[in-house]
Amino acid sequence: MEINITKGNVDIIAVSGSIDALTSSELVKTLNDHIHDGHPNVIVDFGKVEFMSSAGLRAILASVKEARAAGGDFRLASPQPGIDKVLKMAGFYNIVKIYPTVEEALASFG
Amino acid sequence: MKKHLSIVIGSGSILCAASLGLMKALKREKIQPDMLVGCSGGSLYAATLALGFDPAAIHEMTVDMYKNDIVEGYTSNLRAAMSGETRFNETSGLVDDKILMERLQTIFAEKTFADTTIPLHIVATDFYTGEEVVLSNGRLVDAARASSAIPMIFPPWKINDQLLVDGAVCNPLPVDVAIKEGSDVIIAIGFELPMRRRMNSYTAVTTHFNSLYMNNILKSTFAFYNAAHHAEIIPILPSFEKQIGGFDHHQLPYIIEQGEKAAEEQIPYLKKLLEN
Repeated sequence: MEINITKGNVDIIAVSGSIDALTSSELVKTLNDHIHDGHPNVIVDFGKVEFMSSAGLRAILASVKEARAAGGDFRLASPQPGIDKVLKMAGFYNIVKIYPTVEEALASFG
Repeated sequence: MKKHLSIVIGSGSILCAASLGLMKALKREKIQPDMLVGCSGGSLYAATLALGFDPAAIHEMTVDMYKNDIVEGYTSNLRAAMSGETRFNETSGLVDDKILMERLQTIFAEKTFADTTIPLHIVATDFYTGEEVVLSNGRLVDAARASSAIPMIFPPWKINDQLLVDGAVCNPLPVDVAIKEGSDVIIAIGFELPMRRRMNSYTAVTTHFNSLYMNNILKSTFAFYNAAHHAEIIPILPSFEKQIGGFDHHQLPYIIEQGEKAAEEQIPYLKKLLEN
Protein backbone atom coordinates (compact mmCIF):
# COMPACT_ATOMS: atom_id res chain seq x y z
CA MET A 1 0.00 0.00 0.00
CA GLU A 2 1.16 3.52 -0.81
CA ILE A 3 -0.19 6.81 0.50
CA ASN A 4 0.36 10.18 -1.20
CA ILE A 5 -0.90 13.48 0.15
CA THR A 6 -1.67 16.43 -2.16
CA LYS A 7 -2.13 19.70 -0.27
CA GLY A 8 -4.91 22.09 -1.25
CA ASN A 9 -8.02 23.78 0.12
CA VAL A 10 -8.98 20.26 1.07
CA ASP A 11 -6.15 17.78 1.13
CA ILE A 12 -6.39 14.75 -1.09
CA ILE A 13 -4.97 11.52 0.25
CA ALA A 14 -4.45 9.04 -2.55
CA VAL A 15 -4.18 5.42 -1.49
CA SER A 16 -3.00 2.66 -3.79
CA GLY A 17 -2.71 -1.11 -3.40
CA SER A 18 -4.35 -3.17 -0.73
CA ILE A 19 -6.06 -1.99 2.47
CA ASP A 20 -6.17 -5.05 4.66
CA ALA A 21 -5.13 -6.48 8.02
CA LEU A 22 -1.46 -6.10 7.06
CA THR A 23 -1.66 -2.44 6.01
CA SER A 24 -4.68 -0.88 7.71
CA SER A 25 -2.90 0.31 10.86
CA GLU A 26 -0.46 2.34 8.75
CA LEU A 27 -3.38 3.96 6.91
CA VAL A 28 -5.24 4.78 10.13
CA LYS A 29 -2.09 6.33 11.61
CA THR A 30 -1.40 8.46 8.53
CA LEU A 31 -5.00 9.62 8.22
CA ASN A 32 -5.46 10.36 11.91
CA ASP A 33 -2.11 12.19 12.19
CA HIS A 34 -3.13 14.28 9.20
CA ILE A 35 -6.57 15.04 10.66
CA HIS A 36 -5.05 16.09 14.00
CA ASP A 37 -2.46 18.20 12.24
CA GLY A 38 -5.17 20.78 11.49
CA HIS A 39 -6.77 19.10 8.45
CA PRO A 40 -10.09 17.69 9.63
CA ASN A 41 -11.50 17.75 6.08
CA VAL A 42 -10.01 15.05 3.90
CA ILE A 43 -10.75 13.40 0.60
CA VAL A 44 -9.41 9.91 0.26
CA ASP A 45 -8.86 8.99 -3.37
CA PHE A 46 -9.60 5.28 -3.80
CA GLY A 47 -8.90 5.25 -7.55
CA LYS A 48 -5.91 2.95 -7.15
CA VAL A 49 -7.10 0.80 -4.29
CA GLU A 50 -7.13 -2.75 -5.60
CA PHE A 51 -8.33 -4.66 -2.58
CA MET A 52 -10.06 -3.98 0.69
CA SER A 53 -10.92 -6.45 3.43
CA SER A 54 -12.92 -6.09 6.64
CA ALA A 55 -9.84 -4.66 8.39
CA GLY A 56 -9.71 -2.01 5.66
CA LEU A 57 -13.37 -1.16 6.20
CA ARG A 58 -12.79 -0.83 9.94
CA ALA A 59 -9.79 1.45 9.25
CA ILE A 60 -11.93 3.74 7.09
CA LEU A 61 -14.64 3.80 9.74
CA ALA A 62 -12.13 4.76 12.44
CA SER A 63 -10.83 7.70 10.39
CA VAL A 64 -14.34 8.85 9.46
CA LYS A 65 -15.15 9.06 13.19
CA GLU A 66 -11.85 10.84 13.86
CA ALA A 67 -12.43 13.48 11.16
CA ARG A 68 -15.98 14.18 12.34
CA ALA A 69 -14.91 14.37 16.00
CA ALA A 70 -12.34 16.98 14.90
CA GLY A 71 -15.12 19.04 13.28
CA GLY A 72 -14.46 18.01 9.68
CA ASP A 73 -15.42 15.24 7.33
CA PHE A 74 -13.87 12.30 5.54
CA ARG A 75 -15.11 11.88 1.98
CA LEU A 76 -14.22 9.08 -0.34
CA ALA A 77 -13.67 9.37 -4.08
CA SER A 78 -13.46 7.21 -7.20
CA PRO A 79 -13.69 3.66 -5.82
CA GLN A 80 -13.18 1.00 -8.50
CA PRO A 81 -16.15 -1.35 -9.19
CA GLY A 82 -14.87 -4.24 -7.04
CA ILE A 83 -14.20 -1.96 -4.07
CA ASP A 84 -17.46 -0.10 -4.66
CA LYS A 85 -19.35 -3.39 -4.35
CA VAL A 86 -17.72 -4.08 -0.97
CA LEU A 87 -18.48 -0.51 0.22
CA LYS A 88 -22.14 -0.90 -0.79
CA MET A 89 -22.42 -4.34 0.76
CA ALA A 90 -20.96 -3.08 4.05
CA GLY A 91 -23.37 -0.15 4.20
CA PHE A 92 -20.74 2.56 3.75
CA TYR A 93 -22.88 4.52 1.29
CA ASN A 94 -25.30 5.15 4.16
CA ILE A 95 -22.74 6.69 6.49
CA VAL A 96 -19.92 8.11 4.34
CA LYS A 97 -20.13 10.59 1.46
CA ILE A 98 -18.74 8.77 -1.57
CA TYR A 99 -18.22 10.40 -4.98
CA PRO A 100 -17.44 8.92 -8.39
CA THR A 101 -14.56 11.37 -8.94
CA VAL A 102 -12.08 13.41 -6.87
CA GLU A 103 -13.38 16.58 -8.58
CA GLU A 104 -16.91 15.90 -7.36
CA ALA A 105 -15.62 15.20 -3.87
CA LEU A 106 -13.70 18.48 -3.91
CA ALA A 107 -16.77 20.39 -5.14
CA SER A 108 -18.84 18.88 -2.32
CA PHE A 109 -16.82 20.82 0.24
CA GLY A 110 -17.93 24.08 -1.48
CA MET B 1 0.26 -20.49 15.14
CA LYS B 2 -1.90 -21.76 12.27
CA LYS B 3 -4.84 -19.49 11.55
CA HIS B 4 -8.32 -20.99 11.74
CA LEU B 5 -10.01 -20.59 8.36
CA SER B 6 -13.76 -20.79 7.84
CA ILE B 7 -15.81 -20.68 4.70
CA VAL B 8 -19.33 -19.30 4.93
CA ILE B 9 -21.64 -20.04 2.00
CA GLY B 10 -24.65 -17.76 2.01
CA SER B 11 -28.12 -18.17 0.59
CA GLY B 12 -28.69 -17.79 -3.12
CA SER B 13 -30.37 -20.86 -4.56
CA ILE B 14 -28.51 -22.16 -7.64
CA LEU B 15 -26.02 -19.26 -7.45
CA CYS B 16 -24.51 -20.97 -4.40
CA ALA B 17 -22.87 -23.36 -6.88
CA ALA B 18 -20.32 -20.54 -7.29
CA SER B 19 -18.83 -21.95 -4.08
CA LEU B 20 -17.53 -24.83 -6.24
CA GLY B 21 -15.44 -22.28 -8.12
CA LEU B 22 -14.16 -20.91 -4.82
CA MET B 23 -13.21 -24.41 -3.66
CA LYS B 24 -11.47 -25.05 -6.99
CA ALA B 25 -9.33 -21.93 -6.52
CA LEU B 26 -8.51 -22.88 -2.92
CA LYS B 27 -7.65 -26.47 -3.83
CA ARG B 28 -5.20 -25.24 -6.47
CA GLU B 29 -3.41 -23.28 -3.72
CA LYS B 30 -3.67 -26.23 -1.31
CA ILE B 31 -5.74 -24.16 1.11
CA GLN B 32 -8.04 -26.31 3.22
CA PRO B 33 -10.81 -24.81 5.39
CA ASP B 34 -11.08 -25.76 9.06
CA MET B 35 -14.80 -25.19 9.16
CA LEU B 36 -17.79 -24.74 6.85
CA VAL B 37 -20.97 -22.79 7.50
CA GLY B 38 -23.97 -22.86 5.17
CA CYS B 39 -27.30 -21.15 4.91
CA SER B 40 -30.31 -22.01 2.74
CA GLY B 41 -29.06 -23.01 -0.75
CA GLY B 42 -25.54 -22.62 0.67
CA SER B 43 -26.24 -25.36 3.22
CA LEU B 44 -26.32 -27.97 0.43
CA TYR B 45 -22.84 -26.99 -0.73
CA ALA B 46 -21.38 -26.56 2.76
CA ALA B 47 -22.72 -29.97 3.77
CA THR B 48 -21.60 -31.88 0.68
CA LEU B 49 -18.16 -30.24 0.78
CA ALA B 50 -17.87 -31.05 4.50
CA LEU B 51 -18.72 -34.68 3.70
CA GLY B 52 -15.92 -34.72 1.15
CA PHE B 53 -18.06 -35.11 -2.01
CA ASP B 54 -16.02 -34.47 -5.12
CA PRO B 55 -16.94 -31.45 -7.30
CA ALA B 56 -18.37 -33.64 -10.09
CA ALA B 57 -20.80 -35.26 -7.67
CA ILE B 58 -21.86 -31.87 -6.29
CA HIS B 59 -22.32 -30.60 -9.85
CA GLU B 60 -24.57 -33.57 -10.57
CA MET B 61 -26.48 -32.96 -7.33
CA THR B 62 -27.11 -29.35 -8.41
CA VAL B 63 -28.49 -30.38 -11.80
CA ASP B 64 -30.80 -32.85 -10.12
CA MET B 65 -31.90 -30.50 -7.33
CA TYR B 66 -32.75 -27.45 -9.42
CA LYS B 67 -35.27 -29.00 -11.80
CA ASN B 68 -38.52 -27.08 -11.91
CA ASP B 69 -40.64 -30.06 -10.82
CA ILE B 70 -39.44 -29.19 -7.32
CA VAL B 71 -42.02 -26.37 -7.21
CA GLU B 72 -44.77 -28.32 -8.96
CA GLY B 73 -48.26 -27.17 -8.01
CA TYR B 74 -47.17 -23.71 -6.90
CA THR B 75 -49.54 -21.70 -9.10
CA SER B 76 -52.67 -23.78 -8.48
CA ASN B 77 -51.94 -23.98 -4.75
CA LEU B 78 -51.39 -20.22 -4.59
CA ARG B 79 -54.77 -19.65 -6.23
CA ALA B 80 -56.44 -22.07 -3.84
CA ALA B 81 -54.76 -20.51 -0.79
CA MET B 82 -55.69 -16.96 -1.82
CA SER B 83 -59.31 -17.84 -2.51
CA GLY B 84 -59.59 -19.59 0.83
CA GLU B 85 -60.30 -22.87 -0.92
CA THR B 86 -57.43 -24.48 1.00
CA ARG B 87 -56.52 -23.61 4.56
CA PHE B 88 -53.09 -22.13 5.21
CA ASN B 89 -51.29 -22.00 8.53
CA GLU B 90 -47.77 -21.92 9.96
CA THR B 91 -47.03 -25.47 8.88
CA SER B 92 -48.18 -24.92 5.28
CA GLY B 93 -46.30 -24.29 2.09
CA LEU B 94 -47.48 -23.66 -1.44
CA VAL B 95 -45.44 -26.60 -2.67
CA ASP B 96 -45.49 -30.19 -1.51
CA ASP B 97 -42.00 -30.95 -0.20
CA LYS B 98 -42.07 -34.59 -1.36
CA ILE B 99 -39.70 -34.06 -4.30
CA LEU B 100 -37.35 -31.82 -2.29
CA MET B 101 -37.19 -34.43 0.47
CA GLU B 102 -36.54 -37.26 -1.99
CA ARG B 103 -33.62 -35.34 -3.47
CA LEU B 104 -32.17 -34.41 -0.10
CA GLN B 105 -32.54 -38.02 0.98
CA THR B 106 -30.65 -39.15 -2.14
CA ILE B 107 -27.81 -36.76 -1.33
CA PHE B 108 -27.50 -37.24 2.41
CA ALA B 109 -29.25 -40.54 3.19
CA GLU B 110 -28.81 -41.08 6.95
CA LYS B 111 -25.56 -39.10 7.25
CA THR B 112 -25.21 -36.83 10.25
CA PHE B 113 -22.97 -33.91 11.22
CA ALA B 114 -20.71 -36.49 12.88
CA ASP B 115 -19.94 -37.97 9.43
CA THR B 116 -18.39 -34.78 8.05
CA THR B 117 -14.62 -34.59 7.65
CA ILE B 118 -14.68 -30.80 8.11
CA PRO B 119 -16.69 -29.34 11.03
CA LEU B 120 -19.99 -28.00 9.74
CA HIS B 121 -22.73 -25.65 10.94
CA ILE B 122 -26.01 -24.96 9.18
CA VAL B 123 -28.20 -21.96 9.88
CA ALA B 124 -32.00 -21.92 10.03
CA THR B 125 -34.54 -19.52 11.53
CA ASP B 126 -37.01 -20.12 14.36
CA PHE B 127 -40.44 -19.68 12.76
CA TYR B 128 -42.04 -18.11 15.83
CA THR B 129 -39.28 -15.81 17.11
CA GLY B 130 -37.23 -15.12 13.96
CA GLU B 131 -34.05 -15.96 15.87
CA GLU B 132 -31.07 -17.63 14.30
CA VAL B 133 -30.79 -21.36 15.03
CA VAL B 134 -27.39 -22.95 14.42
CA LEU B 135 -27.64 -26.66 13.68
CA SER B 136 -24.47 -28.62 14.44
CA ASN B 137 -25.66 -32.13 15.10
CA GLY B 138 -28.27 -34.58 13.94
CA ARG B 139 -29.25 -35.68 10.44
CA LEU B 140 -27.96 -33.54 7.58
CA VAL B 141 -31.14 -34.11 5.62
CA ASP B 142 -33.12 -32.39 8.40
CA ALA B 143 -30.68 -29.50 8.71
CA ALA B 144 -30.58 -28.87 4.95
CA ARG B 145 -34.37 -29.19 4.70
CA ALA B 146 -34.95 -26.67 7.53
CA SER B 147 -32.33 -24.24 6.22
CA SER B 148 -33.88 -24.37 2.71
CA ALA B 149 -37.53 -23.96 3.75
CA ILE B 150 -38.19 -20.93 1.55
CA PRO B 151 -40.97 -18.96 3.28
CA MET B 152 -44.47 -19.64 1.93
CA ILE B 153 -43.06 -22.00 -0.72
CA PHE B 154 -41.91 -24.99 1.32
CA PRO B 155 -43.48 -25.89 4.66
CA PRO B 156 -41.30 -25.16 7.69
CA TRP B 157 -39.46 -28.15 9.17
CA LYS B 158 -39.56 -29.33 12.74
CA ILE B 159 -36.36 -30.32 14.56
CA ASN B 160 -36.57 -31.14 18.28
CA ASP B 161 -39.95 -29.46 18.62
CA GLN B 162 -38.67 -26.25 17.08
CA LEU B 163 -40.40 -25.12 13.89
CA LEU B 164 -37.69 -23.89 11.52
CA VAL B 165 -37.60 -22.00 8.23
CA ASP B 166 -35.00 -20.78 5.76
CA GLY B 167 -31.82 -19.44 7.39
CA ALA B 168 -31.90 -16.50 5.00
CA VAL B 169 -34.89 -15.09 6.90
CA CYS B 170 -32.59 -14.12 9.78
CA ASN B 171 -29.09 -14.11 8.30
CA PRO B 172 -28.40 -14.79 4.60
CA LEU B 173 -24.61 -14.81 5.09
CA PRO B 174 -24.02 -16.06 8.64
CA VAL B 175 -20.43 -15.02 9.29
CA ASP B 176 -21.40 -14.62 12.95
CA VAL B 177 -21.26 -18.40 13.36
CA ALA B 178 -17.62 -18.45 12.23
CA ILE B 179 -16.81 -15.45 14.46
CA LYS B 180 -18.38 -17.18 17.46
CA GLU B 181 -16.46 -20.39 16.73
CA GLY B 182 -13.21 -18.39 16.92
CA SER B 183 -12.17 -18.25 13.26
CA ASP B 184 -9.25 -15.94 12.48
CA VAL B 185 -9.98 -15.71 8.78
CA ILE B 186 -13.43 -16.01 7.27
CA ILE B 187 -14.10 -16.36 3.56
CA ALA B 188 -17.70 -15.30 3.02
CA ILE B 189 -19.27 -16.05 -0.33
CA GLY B 190 -22.56 -14.21 -0.62
CA PHE B 191 -25.22 -13.49 -3.21
CA GLU B 192 -27.71 -10.72 -3.63
CA LEU B 193 -31.05 -11.92 -4.95
CA PRO B 194 -31.67 -10.68 -8.48
CA MET B 195 -34.32 -8.03 -9.05
CA ARG B 196 -37.34 -8.83 -11.22
CA ARG B 197 -37.34 -6.99 -14.52
CA ARG B 198 -41.02 -7.52 -15.29
CA MET B 199 -43.69 -6.93 -12.66
CA ASN B 200 -46.53 -8.63 -14.46
CA SER B 201 -48.07 -10.80 -11.77
CA TYR B 202 -48.76 -11.05 -8.06
CA THR B 203 -45.93 -13.58 -7.77
CA ALA B 204 -43.50 -11.32 -9.63
CA VAL B 205 -44.20 -8.39 -7.31
CA THR B 206 -44.00 -10.48 -4.12
CA THR B 207 -40.76 -12.08 -5.38
CA HIS B 208 -39.38 -8.60 -6.01
CA PHE B 209 -40.30 -7.50 -2.47
CA ASN B 210 -38.71 -10.66 -1.13
CA SER B 211 -35.47 -9.76 -2.97
CA LEU B 212 -35.56 -6.26 -1.47
CA TYR B 213 -36.03 -7.58 2.08
CA MET B 214 -33.40 -10.29 1.71
CA ASN B 215 -30.79 -8.05 0.14
CA ASN B 216 -31.26 -5.46 2.87
CA ILE B 217 -30.92 -8.11 5.59
CA LEU B 218 -27.79 -9.40 3.83
CA LYS B 219 -26.20 -5.95 3.72
CA SER B 220 -27.09 -4.89 7.24
CA THR B 221 -25.94 -8.12 8.90
CA PHE B 222 -22.75 -8.19 6.81
CA ALA B 223 -22.02 -4.54 7.69
CA PHE B 224 -22.45 -5.21 11.39
CA TYR B 225 -20.25 -8.32 11.47
CA ASN B 226 -17.58 -6.55 9.42
CA ALA B 227 -17.38 -3.77 11.96
CA ALA B 228 -17.54 -6.13 14.93
CA HIS B 229 -15.10 -8.88 13.99
CA HIS B 230 -11.57 -8.60 15.37
CA ALA B 231 -9.90 -10.55 12.59
CA GLU B 232 -10.53 -10.77 8.89
CA ILE B 233 -13.55 -11.35 6.70
CA ILE B 234 -12.78 -11.78 3.03
CA PRO B 235 -15.93 -11.22 1.00
CA ILE B 236 -16.32 -13.14 -2.24
CA LEU B 237 -19.13 -11.50 -4.18
CA PRO B 238 -19.36 -13.07 -7.64
CA SER B 239 -20.79 -10.89 -10.40
CA PHE B 240 -23.38 -12.35 -12.72
CA GLU B 241 -23.91 -10.28 -15.84
CA LYS B 242 -26.23 -12.92 -17.27
CA GLN B 243 -29.77 -13.24 -15.96
CA ILE B 244 -29.92 -16.56 -14.07
CA GLY B 245 -33.22 -18.15 -13.13
CA GLY B 246 -33.67 -20.55 -10.22
CA PHE B 247 -33.70 -23.60 -12.47
CA ASP B 248 -31.07 -22.57 -15.02
CA HIS B 249 -28.74 -25.48 -14.35
CA HIS B 250 -27.42 -25.14 -17.90
CA GLN B 251 -25.73 -21.97 -16.55
CA LEU B 252 -23.75 -23.98 -13.97
CA PRO B 253 -20.39 -23.74 -15.77
CA TYR B 254 -20.80 -19.94 -15.92
CA ILE B 255 -21.86 -19.73 -12.24
CA ILE B 256 -18.87 -21.82 -11.13
CA GLU B 257 -16.52 -19.81 -13.34
CA GLN B 258 -17.72 -16.53 -11.80
CA GLY B 259 -17.17 -17.98 -8.33
CA GLU B 260 -13.67 -19.05 -9.27
CA LYS B 261 -12.89 -15.67 -10.81
CA ALA B 262 -14.10 -13.77 -7.73
CA ALA B 263 -12.08 -16.11 -5.49
CA GLU B 264 -8.90 -15.77 -7.54
CA GLU B 265 -8.91 -12.01 -6.94
CA GLN B 266 -8.66 -12.67 -3.19
CA ILE B 267 -6.13 -15.52 -3.27
CA PRO B 268 -2.91 -13.44 -3.09
CA TYR B 269 -4.09 -11.63 0.04
CA LEU B 270 -5.51 -14.80 1.59
CA LYS B 271 -2.16 -16.54 1.13
CA LYS B 272 -0.30 -13.62 2.70
CA LEU B 273 -2.74 -13.55 5.59
CA LEU B 274 -2.46 -17.28 6.28
CA GLU B 275 1.35 -17.16 6.10
CA ASN B 276 1.62 -14.23 8.53
